[in-house]
Amino acid sequence: MEIIQKFGFETKLFLFQLINFLIIVFILKKFLFKPLKRILDERKRRIEQSLQDAENAKAALENADAERKKILAVAKVGADKLMASVKVSADETKEKTLAEAKFRSQQIIEEAKNKASAEFENMNKQIGKMSVDVSNKILSKVLSELFTEEEKQKIMSRAMEMIDEKITN
Amino acid sequence: MQIGPDLLFTIAGFPITNTVVTTLITDVILITLVLIVSKSVALKPGKMQNIIESVSDYFRETTESLAGERSSFIYPWVLSFFLFIVISNLAAQIPGFESIRFHTSSSGHHGVALFRAATSDLNLTLALAVTSVVATHYLSVKHTGIKSYITRFITFKMFSIFLFVGILEFVNELAKFISFSFRLFGNIFAGEKVMSTMYSLCPFGLPLPFIGFELMVALIQAIVFAMLTMSFMHIMTDKSH
Repeated sequence: MEIIQKFGFETKLFLFQLINFLIIVFILKKFLFKPLKRILDERKRRIEQSLQDAENAKAALENADAERKKILAVAKVGADKLMASVKVSADETKEKTLAEAKFRSQQIIEEAKNKASAEFENMNKQIGKMSVDVSNKILSKVLSELFTEEEKQKIMSRAMEMIDEKITN
Repeated sequence: MQIGPDLLFTIAGFPITNTVVTTLITDVILITLVLIVSKSVALKPGKMQNIIESVSDYFRETTESLAGERSSFIYPWVLSFFLFIVISNLAAQIPGFESIRFHTSSSGHHGVALFRAATSDLNLTLALAVTSVVATHYLSVKHTGIKSYITRFITFKMFSIFLFVGILEFVNELAKFISFSFRLFGNIFAGEKVMSTMYSLCPFGLPLPFIGFELMVALIQAIVFAMLTMSFMHIMTDKSH
């Protein structure tokens, strides 16, 4: 005890320092560490919450991306089907139109042929009739100078019959 | 050479020494710090809160790495010791700290120093040592149970060996009072004497490297005291030890 007193130990001062330090510890614990711990815990909670939110947002983004890809794939399949059906339909329409056009053109050609043939026959008849009239007039002119009326009539009739036969054949 | 603090005056028989004055200044600084931080504490910390949070985080993480979940009740003690000792030590490193003199009836012509490093007073360092050891034992009883606590010192398993180990443990606990108090006291007191010698030899320039050295000692001694407390509290509150 004597030795320690040589170092300046005094019970009153020792007790004062002891109580003083305990009061300081109490103040620090109550008014510094507690609010600091509260704020650190709150900050930690917020950081964890933010990280969780970021994680959720990332997951949502990934989901949205997957959903987008899925929708795109479905749309692509739909578009491909539509394109295929359109192509088939276009081919069918093309073929149908072509067939119709072909049929129509043949019909027109056929009609034209018939019309031309009818026209030709008609023209033949007219030419025949005209040639008969011309022959009749020529014969009348020629015969009137060489034969009598009776002979003339017989020759005319005979010639007319022959011409008629020729035309008919 | 006077080792103890100088008596300035007495209040109702209670001696007010220069180390008591410095202790009160340390208290004022700490309480001001507490008031500033507790009033301005916010999620987005200011400069002061940042500094305190950094120190607090350092000790909390160190305690957590050592004691795990028991750090919740260990680290406030550790941080309290550190803050009190470091502020008290650093305050004493302000140049001219001991130059302010105070005249008493018994002092000579030059009077006595009004301020002196609080930790250069054995009364304070011993009070800190007692607080550390008693708090450690209190936490040990609280968290490991009285039976486990007593069997550290008295056990009848393999009687002769473990009874001896128990006695050694007891002596070790007594030695903690001395090691804690005299280490801090010795370092700061010696630093004070070195500084006063340097100032007396050549007040300009020469003390400068020693100020740097003493600043380091001030910080290291605060860390050593806090870390040892942390370590002892961890050992004493661990059931497996």
